[in-house]
Amino acid sequence: MALLQISEPGGKPAAPKHRLAVGIDLGTTNSLVAASCGQKVEILPDDEGNYLMPSIVSYGTNSAPVVGHAALPAAVEDPANTIISVKRLLGRSLGEVSDDEQFGQYQFASTGVDSAPVLQTAAGDKNPVQVSADILSALAQRAERALKGKLEGVVITVPAYFNDAQRQQTKDAAQLAGLQVLRLLNEPTAAAVAYGLDSKDEGNVIVFDLGGGTFDVSLLSLQKGIFEVLATGGNTSLGGDDFDRALMALVRSKLGATEELNHKQTAQLKRLVIQAKHELSNSSSSELIFNDQTVRLTVEDFSAAVQDLVRQTITACRRVLRDAELDKDQIDNIVMVGGATRMPVIRQAVAEFFGKEPLTSIDPDKVVAIGAGIQADVLIGNKSADSFLLLDVNPLSLGIETMGELVEKIIPRNTTIPVARAQEFTTFKDGQTVMALHVVQGERELVKDCRSLARFELRGIPPMVAGAAKIRVTFQVDADGLLSVLAEELSTGTRAEIQVKPSYGLGSGEIEEMLQASQAHAQEDMQVRALREAQIEAQQLIDAIRAAETQDGDLLEEEERAQLDAAVAKLERAIADANKNDISEQTEALNKLSGEFAARRMDLHIAKALSGENIDSVESTND
Amino acid sequence: MQILNQNFFALFEQPQGFHLDMEALSATYRQLQNANHPDRFAGEGESERLKAVQLTSLINEAYDTLRSPMKRAAYLLQLAGVDTERVEQSDLSMDLLLEQMQLRESLAELPADDSALPQLEKLKKDVSEKMRARQQQFAELMQSEQLDAARKLFHEMQFLHKLTKEIDQGEEQRLDY
Repeated sequence: MALLQISEPGGKPAAPKHRLAVGIDLGTTNSLVAASCGQKVEILPDDEGNYLMPSIVSYGTNSAPVVGHAALPAAVEDPANTIISVKRLLGRSLGEVSDDEQFGQYQFASTGVDSAPVLQTAAGDKNPVQVSADILSALAQRAERALKGKLEGVVITVPAYFNDAQRQQTKDAAQLAGLQVLRLLNEPTAAAVAYGLDSKDEGNVIVFDLGGGTFDVSLLSLQKGIFEVLATGGNTSLGGDDFDRALMALVRSKLGATEELNHKQTAQLKRLVIQAKHELSNSSSSELIFNDQTVRLTVEDFSAAVQDLVRQTITACRRVLRDAELDKDQIDNIVMVGGATRMPVIRQAVAEFFGKEPLTSIDPDKVVAIGAGIQADVLIGNKSADSFLLLDVNPLSLGIETMGELVEKIIPRNTTIPVARAQEFTTFKDGQTVMALHVVQGERELVKDCRSLARFELRGIPPMVAGAAKIRVTFQVDADGLLSVLAEELSTGTRAEIQVKPSYGLGSGEIEEMLQASQAHAQEDMQVRALREAQIEAQQLIDAIRAAETQDGDLLEEEERAQLDAAVAKLERAIADANKNDISEQTEALNKLSGEFAARRMDLHIAKALSGENIDSVESTND
Repeated sequence: MQILNQNFFALFEQPQGFHLDMEALSATYRQLQNANHPDRFAGEGESERLKAVQLTSLINEAYDTLRSPMKRAAYLLQLAGVDTERVEQSDLSMDLLLEQMQLRESLAELPADDSALPQLEKLKKDVSEKMRARQQQFAELMQSEQLDAARKLFHEMQFLHKLTKEIDQGEEQRLDY
């Protein structure tokens, strides 16, 4: 903006009207609001100068809801009427949250497991959309006071993992608060935008987001204004809190504390530990005094205590790189998000792994809101309108149940959406006219370890021998992540179709937990899969031999038949014992043993066929 | 929509063949996405948006196919009317089977901890060199329309591809993912 404005002689420069729009980071623990103030986008503080607003709403009888810092005391004194972490309730059903410990202090109205949770408070029933709307209203009021005018639009950030229901409810909350939503922006994208990594830059960006309780890492590719999410990953059970706990354990071992600390002492020690942690960000050692004992902590102590946690964050980075098929030297920028990324031990580990200093000039608590503020300014028309396009991926694999309760993946995770994929299946039994389809989501090999999304049936398949029918199953995922499934029998064109909201109620936490579980269980799953396949193969062999015995049993000597039956019984036991090697051995043995029988049957049928008798008729008359 | 029936190469304005200008491919991909993504039709009617979803699904599928050497090779054969599902024992040369056995043995013999990583890396490099040589040959065979030879070579590439994946898995296990 260094150019001078030149106006026509005599005319007054037409001052473009500056329209007010803000970016909002609607966080689980804290929320922020940012707006363009002249040249720069800044976080708008409250009257006391606080930038962060705790995402807490307290409801009292006959009074307006109290939001933010003012609601902090109520969170301790009146937890039942004070809603914290409402973001975790968005887009989920009552059935999913009612048994969750973290919501234990709330009273949920009994509305039915599939409906949205409704919180019973002193001010009446409140659903998560209403609570979120109260937080948004408080932020909007803060902005309107600071900017001295009415807001014309907002950009709200959501986690990249948020599903359609969660996005929709975020939007609903804004509407309820009387705000015009210009765009829902993904948090990692917002962070990248904050660093000015917009249309001018090209390259690959890692967004490393270590919050209090969760860790997300995203890899974005940026080219000519198009942000493409190449891969996402992380760990929902890893956060800054874990680092505090590790340091706490270290201090306690240094204190040599033999007696148990009471609740108050623990809280006091925790405060001292966190203070020490902050000091260690700027100096090489720190001392804390607890119960007349002095504990000296060095940066080395701290690094050693959290080494394992740091390693986990780097492992997640490595995995995301692998998923995106990129090398770490192909990463051009690393953006740090979340208060816990202030720890030098984290910054050093990241810098060392990528061989490049991460971007840290913007406060990691504010970076997402600032990015949203920049985008709001662009979308409302205060800046040139070369907005960017975000190409998203599906965070979890989508598949279908096949024999043996195994999952056949149809759309693997991290596939760019929208996407359509088809796969052909066939019938299992002779004359089968109905096929049950079970759509599941997850990375594990077994259906029971994945999330069930929908069940439906394809009826009216013409009766054919097993394996002859061709059923094409098509999965279509649209840009919002919504899945529809079409099953079609190809010879007759019989169809069945279902719309699925794949991620309804599947929170980002669950998605990541499922991913972690799949990684942790990959080996085990492979073994289970091998076992199931061996069991299926063995059972098919047994069925075939039984059928052959019924049909052509007279080809066998009594002794041969006894041997065969003994081998079948042995294999059946092996199947029941679920020992893969045993099953394979017995299958092999039975295969060998029945080889002669199969050869005799073949000879017989060829002889009959040559003599003009139709094999089919032979088989059916022998039945 | 006319695009829906287009050959993936035509859709991406690339000459039909194994060798592709990957930069041009991704540039065209961005152009196509920019023009057709459902976000660009956010304010328009249901049918416009549905069309955009179909179109971008196809664009994504085409990009995914062209970008991956194995998928691209299979697609080229498919366009030439060759059945890539059918593999017969006689399609695979003794040399290939011996080579595969040797590679697999060296993979199986590696220690189970991360001390095997440098060797895995080397094995991966070996396999990828063999793959590159075959890809080059495949491109030439397709060019000169020696389809049966190309099909056999494709099956060899499938072997190498599977081996690469197994090496990757071996690496992941040892890197403790």
